[in-house]
Amino acid sequence: MTDLRRLDELLRAEDGDAGCTAGEDILDAYVELELAGEDPALVFPGTAIHLQSCPGCQTDHDGLLEAARRFAHVKPQ
Amino acid sequence: MSERRRPRREDRTASTEPASISGNNVIWMGGRRGPEPWVEQLRPGHPRRDRTVAKLHAVLLRAAFHELSRRLGQPRSISGPEFDDLAQQAADDALINVLARLDDFRGLSRFTTWAYKFVMFEVSAKVARHAWRRQPPSRHELAFERVPDPLAAGPGDRLEQQEQLKALAVAIGKLTERQREVFVAIALNDVPIDVLAIQLGTNRNAIYKNLFDARRNLRAGMAAAGHPVPERDAA
Repeated sequence: MTDLRRLDELLRAEDGDAGCTAGEDILDAYVELELAGEDPALVFPGTAIHLQSCPGCQTDHDGLLEAARRFAHVKPQ
Repeated sequence: MSERRRPRREDRTASTEPASISGNNVIWMGGRRGPEPWVEQLRPGHPRRDRTVAKLHAVLLRAAFHELSRRLGQPRSISGPEFDDLAQQAADDALINVLARLDDFRGLSRFTTWAYKFVMFEVSAKVARHAWRRQPPSRHELAFERVPDPLAAGPGDRLEQQEQLKALAVAIGKLTERQREVFVAIALNDVPIDVLAIQLGTNRNAIYKNLFDARRNLRAGMAAAGHPVPERDAA
């Protein structure tokens, strides 16, 4: 059976999408909120929408979230 | 500066924000953190600067290796002898960007998280460039021929669903040429967005704008043809 949810995913274009460029500046703050257990969509709603639709930014986000989780506790000395 | 060391992030920010995309409507932003030792010690003239730069490069390189490994399973990812070289290039260029943008650090995250962001951008750019050189998108991947099998209706599907897919095909045919090739490549053939951006001589943001408009037009076209696609929250 054709999956309507799959079709919905393919055609997702939500109002309020911040686009790629807007998220570049705040992506670090966005993942820190996630790691703190807060909801970044409350602070950066446009990027939260965007990350559901843009495969490139999703990949950057997922990588940064993992890097911050694993490697962020490094001090300069 | 060698070609491989030149920061390329400006490529990602060259275009203006798409008119139909709203920008990041920040509702609240947390306060600035205290003085950041990394920033202080990376400033020119600091007695520990060289040692701190070397340590930062080491942690950026670790993040680059990890990120490249994480992406191994993705389409057109890096493997083979280029892996180490690309990790090194990504760490080198991320370090250059971090040092050039120290004054941009606003303390809204840990410094290392902010710095790793540049690693992610560099890895994305380098993986895409590498993939494009080895396997640029084919004409077949940009041209609409038929609805792909994973989406297509099977013999047991209802007539209504088959009609819906016909409406999708018709709507795709009514897109602008650029919207159609972007939608077909990314949504139907899984061409990575950054690879397509290189192929079409533009940047990720511009491609996303094309994709966004294509999706909007397809949804509207299908609704106008009597086959609306229920949105996730309404389904």
